[in-house]
Amino acid sequence: MSNGADAIEDTGRRRAQRRFRNPIDFLEQYFGSGVGIIGHAIIMLIKVWILIARGKIDWPETFRQCNMIGLKSFLVVAITACFTGFAMSLQISRELVLFGADTAIGGVVSLALIREIGPITAGVMLAGRVGSSIAAELTTMMITEQIDALEVMHIDKVEFLVVPRYLAGVMMMPVLSVYAMFMGLLAGIMIASSAANLPVATFLDSVKQTILDRDFHVHFMKAFINGTIVTIMSCAIGLSTRGGAEDVGIATTRSIVWTMTLIFVFNFIVTSLTYAPR
Amino acid sequence: MEDPRASSLNVSQPALKVVDLKKSFDGRPVLKSISFEVYPGETLGIIGPSGCGKSTILKLVCGLIQPDGGQIIKASEEIGLVFQGSALLNSLSVRENLRLALRNRRMSRREQDEQIEKTLRLVGLGDHIDHFPAELSGGQQKRTSFARAVVYNPPIILYDEPTTGLDPVMSTIIEDYMIELEKELRAASIVVTHQLSTWTRTADRVIMMHAGRVVWEGKPSDAMASDNAFIHQFAHASREGPMLQK
Repeated sequence: MSNGADAIEDTGRRRAQRRFRNPIDFLEQYFGSGVGIIGHAIIMLIKVWILIARGKIDWPETFRQCNMIGLKSFLVVAITACFTGFAMSLQISRELVLFGADTAIGGVVSLALIREIGPITAGVMLAGRVGSSIAAELTTMMITEQIDALEVMHIDKVEFLVVPRYLAGVMMMPVLSVYAMFMGLLAGIMIASSAANLPVATFLDSVKQTILDRDFHVHFMKAFINGTIVTIMSCAIGLSTRGGAEDVGIATTRSIVWTMTLIFVFNFIVTSLTYAPR
Repeated sequence: MEDPRASSLNVSQPALKVVDLKKSFDGRPVLKSISFEVYPGETLGIIGPSGCGKSTILKLVCGLIQPDGGQIIKASEEIGLVFQGSALLNSLSVRENLRLALRNRRMSRREQDEQIEKTLRLVGLGDHIDHFPAELSGGQQKRTSFARAVVYNPPIILYDEPTTGLDPVMSTIIEDYMIELEKELRAASIVVTHQLSTWTRTADRVIMMHAGRVVWEGKPSDAMASDNAFIHQFAHASREGPMLQK
């Protein structure tokens, strides 16, 4: 028993020594693998679009994925959006009441929700709940030779596995984002009316005066991008991982780190392109 | 019923011919000039110690990896592969797993169902058609993997360690199915194994590999009496012999 434990420890030590042998090698390997994953994801996305354009869509599997990705995420998105709405509304109410601008609470809360918090909350929750699950599932399929079995049967793994997940992601993410926005708004109304004694009608009037059509367009654009990032990055990581049980955990972690990072990066890029001062 | 492959496959011509096959991984040669032929209706056993390149040959034959050198001439691109770990898709039922193999064929759903039911009866799993892999025992999963590999009547069937990890009784049952499938389908088969009972019972001809080369070729019945040091050591599970020498 102790021999086995020693062997595992020894393997881990040797792996760590190999990894940190030279910081330049480590950085080259780290960023090299990162570039590889991004490149793999871009090629996969192009292939997915070509397959969709050619009508190669397995609709029953797509709807099954919609259930897995979308419907099963409603509760967790509602909880996080509510508490984000509570905290944000509390902070904004406190400051605006000080300046006598309490009638603007609804507008500020709704702007933050529709432009940033809604898409980000839904995106991050989906990255954690769905992206990790996709990466773990596909990595397990890789290491148990299920993907090889598909290839032997001349079944395109991108068409069979990635297209339904991608379509489900980009269809369900806008729904979840809007849902997160409304749940956050409801939480905001509750806090504004209880903590700042703001009537609901005043809150909603401020929302109506502040929100523009363009805000919804940007909201849906961000949701679409987030759905693409979560599904394609998770699939690319899952389908490029080989090895054993340990690699399932590594792929899952890598998927969460990559998708969340890219969600924040692309959120900033879209915001800067659409709302930057001119 | 007339075999639809009869016109395309000539029994006097090999269904699979491998010539001077070479493959390395990370600069380490795994296969060094491997050549063999398999004829329709024949089962070739590939035996040898772990890591000698047996499974690599199967992956090369079905195109999962590419060779560094040599030729693989196949009578058909239709190949059935029985994986060591079954490799069934866990989210699909037995029926759906088999339907996957028929996905790209011009068959109606009713024809697919008939073919699936017929194949599952052949491996004794007619009652498990709507079960999921997690609900099956190891032996049943292996038989489902067999059924998936043969449901479209491929002229070449590859078995990767079909009885490894199974108890002796289940191994015998699996070997019986392999013998039955050979009679039924008349396909050219390759069995990669190191289980003595599997290659002695199912193979018509055996090649033994060691360190990426073929070191013995012959009939299973000749293996025990052979004076070739490699096959003698392997068949008698002996510590004495050239296989442990560096």
